[in-house]
Amino acid sequence: MLHPPTLTHWLALSALLFSIGLYGIFTRRNAVGILLSIELMLNSAVLNLVIFNRFVASGDVDGQVMALFVIAVAAAEAVVALAIFVSFYRHRHTLDVTEANQICHPGNSTP
Amino acid sequence: MYLQPEIIVITTAFAVLGMEMFLPPRHRPWQTPVTLLGLAIGLAAVVDLMIRGEGEFLNGQFRFDGVTGWFKISFLSAGLLTVLLSADLLGGRIKAVPGRDRGLLYRGEFYTVMLFNLVGAMFLISATNLVNLYVCLELATIPLYLMVAWRRGDPLSSEAGMKYSILGATSTGALLFGLGLLYGLTGSVDLLTMGEQLSFGPATKLAIAMVIVGIGFKLTLVPFHMWAADVYRGAPLPVTAYLSVASKAAGLAFMFQLFYRVLGNGLADVSMALAVLAAVTMTLGNVVAVVQTNIKRFMAFSAISQAGYLIMGFLDRSGAPSMVYYMLVYVVTNMLVFGVIGFYLNETGREQIEDYRGLARTNPLVALAMMLGLFSLAGIPPLSGFVGKFFLFSVASKAGFHWLVAVAAINSTISLYYYLRIVRQMYIEPGFEDDPPIRPSRSIVTAMGLSTVLMIVLGIVPFFYETIYEQSRQWMAGAF
Repeated sequence: MLHPPTLTHWLALSALLFSIGLYGIFTRRNAVGILLSIELMLNSAVLNLVIFNRFVASGDVDGQVMALFVIAVAAAEAVVALAIFVSFYRHRHTLDVTEANQICHPGNSTP
Repeated sequence: MYLQPEIIVITTAFAVLGMEMFLPPRHRPWQTPVTLLGLAIGLAAVVDLMIRGEGEFLNGQFRFDGVTGWFKISFLSAGLLTVLLSADLLGGRIKAVPGRDRGLLYRGEFYTVMLFNLVGAMFLISATNLVNLYVCLELATIPLYLMVAWRRGDPLSSEAGMKYSILGATSTGALLFGLGLLYGLTGSVDLLTMGEQLSFGPATKLAIAMVIVGIGFKLTLVPFHMWAADVYRGAPLPVTAYLSVASKAAGLAFMFQLFYRVLGNGLADVSMALAVLAAVTMTLGNVVAVVQTNIKRFMAFSAISQAGYLIMGFLDRSGAPSMVYYMLVYVVTNMLVFGVIGFYLNETGREQIEDYRGLARTNPLVALAMMLGLFSLAGIPPLSGFVGKFFLFSVASKAGFHWLVAVAAINSTISLYYYLRIVRQMYIEPGFEDDPPIRPSRSIVTAMGLSTVLMIVLGIVPFFYETIYEQSRQWMAGAF
């Protein structure tokens, strides 16, 4: 007989998602890939909120409301970040973040 | 009704946006006075509300009291000074450097984005609910990504924007995970209820660590400070100035909400971690600032070390007034220094520290203002920076962290060395041969004059500190 997953299982899932996102941020070199990994992290947090709403505070919907807000805000964040990536791409013709080293370049003395 | 300041700022934002849409380009410079007027009326509304006392609105979802009032005053004055600083750049008054786009375009949109960001910060300190708190924190962060990348023709600006948005979003992810854990541990989103329900265990410590990642990013605490130097360097100067004060003040507001309302009873358990964080932050900021040659990077590390001093106030429960006061002082002082940097950058295109040589001969008053600002940041006695640091150090010593006070004192000495480097360039080194005196524009003179006066007044008139102290006590009594 199949048991329904418990709080621990769900939390393990969200922790796993979070770790995958963090790993992606550290290893990806393409800015869009990093953004995807960040979305993974945010989604693990959203999952957390919904899980806790279900298992800890099942009487109200605060966690679900917050989850909805987080999804909306994450969309706004993605829009802004992608717009900035476009602007970056126009200058460098690449989205490789290891190429984003012009600011620290010593020859760059004029503002 | 306690929402007047926010409503005024939002109305101004939409009015400026409307002017951008409907006015012909030659009338658009009027957006600057309109924004200034809106912010000034907003400031007056905050002062008016503070005189009338505290209260709640929207069924307790929005709280106004003395401490929130002081936070709003510092946000609004940071905004006001930023508008004055950016007027020259937006008006095209800038020395051209071949091959580089150095102006600032889209006046109306720039002000609108900045005003929305201000509103986010103003709501942030008044929120009493985790959902509001999170949304306001994001509103106080996301527009900043745009402002950093505002100069589309400049590769440095978009590079800075990319670094800022990626690191900012990552820290948000960690913060949100921590907030989710706190919600799970308490089963409530009301901050005060969360504070009552919270008990300390390993999961709480994990949640606090995650939250500190998010706060550390905004406040540039040390393991999370990496973005600061590059972003400060790459962003247009008025944005750098705004970022260094408003974003930091918003981070402090967020920290106030979480540390005093949610973690209130367990503050002593995290104080050791905070002390270590403060010590590392101020030491690294100061040591790295010594070797900087670019003044914007230099100010970034100076800002990092100031954040280290600032969070010393969380070590003891009586620290809230010292932090509010120091933040106010920091806002006006930093805006003064950035005012001078911006003025010099606009007029001459120079931004290296050694380029400041001889400024005292060409523009003695500007050099004097810069010197006063730097002395206040270093904490030389008659100026307000000293008073603020004194209160913060006494908080740490009251909490029993004598080693931290010693570290902070050593750091203040180091900081005096590098702040004096600029003063030396201005007063002692021979200047450029053929430099005529520079005539500053009216907006810059207003910004520099206003922040100099405020900086001196805050230091020598005890009214401010006493009022903040009294109101913080009431706020703390309500928080527990």
